[in-house]
Amino acid sequence: MSAHSQLSSHFFEDLLDSIIVDVASECHRVARLGLDRNFEEEEEELRLSAQARARVADSSNNGETNSKYVVDIFGQTHPAVANEIFECMNCGRSIVAGRCFCSSLQGRKARLKVTRSATAAQNRYTRGSPGSSYSSYSNSTGMNRLSNGASSGVAGEEYSNGSFEEL
Amino acid sequence: MSAKRSSINRPPTPDVDRDRENQEPTLQEIINIKMIESGEKERLKELLRERLIECGWRDEMKSLCRAYTRKKGRNNVTVDDLVHVITPKGRASVPDPVKAELLQRIRSFLASTAT
Repeated sequence: MSAHSQLSSHFFEDLLDSIIVDVASECHRVARLGLDRNFEEEEEELRLSAQARARVADSSNNGETNSKYVVDIFGQTHPAVANEIFECMNCGRSIVAGRCFCSSLQGRKARLKVTRSATAAQNRYTRGSPGSSYSSYSNSTGMNRLSNGASSGVAGEEYSNGSFEEL
Repeated sequence: MSAKRSSINRPPTPDVDRDRENQEPTLQEIINIKMIESGEKERLKELLRERLIECGWRDEMKSLCRAYTRKKGRNNVTVDDLVHVITPKGRASVPDPVKAELLQRIRSFLASTAT
């Protein structure tokens, strides 16, 4: 290496060392003054991810049969296992969350259709009686539309197969 | 009575400044002084800093510092520790184009100084 190259390299390393000291000094200042707001969050994330890794490793070592579901770091299963039981807000019966909505909805649609026709007949005599056997908001909306004589299409559509869609 | 006390016959104190003046400054020192006086050193440092930020080198070094700080504890790290931690990786991970650009600039300055 020529003297020129040696000198150039020497000055370059001098500059680089100076910048390294600047970076170290700044990081030291941030650390000691606690200015790194993400520091604790990163530590918490690392701790949680280590826990999740240990949990996954532990479950795989235990040979759990539920191997088709993967648990992520948030504790959620993939694919989602909707095995919790809820109470339907419409009809009040207990239903599994993972159950197909259309089947439960079809059940309600059937009741909607039957009771609507019965109630519509009643309304023709009583003219907007507040009494209604409907248990859902959509049912009462549908009833109002019928009692007012307005055709559907604004807030919902009733299809020929008896399904009702609330828009 | 004319006998001198030994305590006042000590050898003279060596003149440090005179000895230092006999030593010629090295070429490196001369160029360093010229670089500082002309402002070129500051410009080169700023250019290098900018290039190292653009390529993510600085973020990488800060990440190393954070990892070391997390391991040792925030109140147990010193600047020296951090310098020793990041210097080897820092020197090795400078991108070649950045290094080439700076070396070219330095050589140009040396050539202009020599003339």
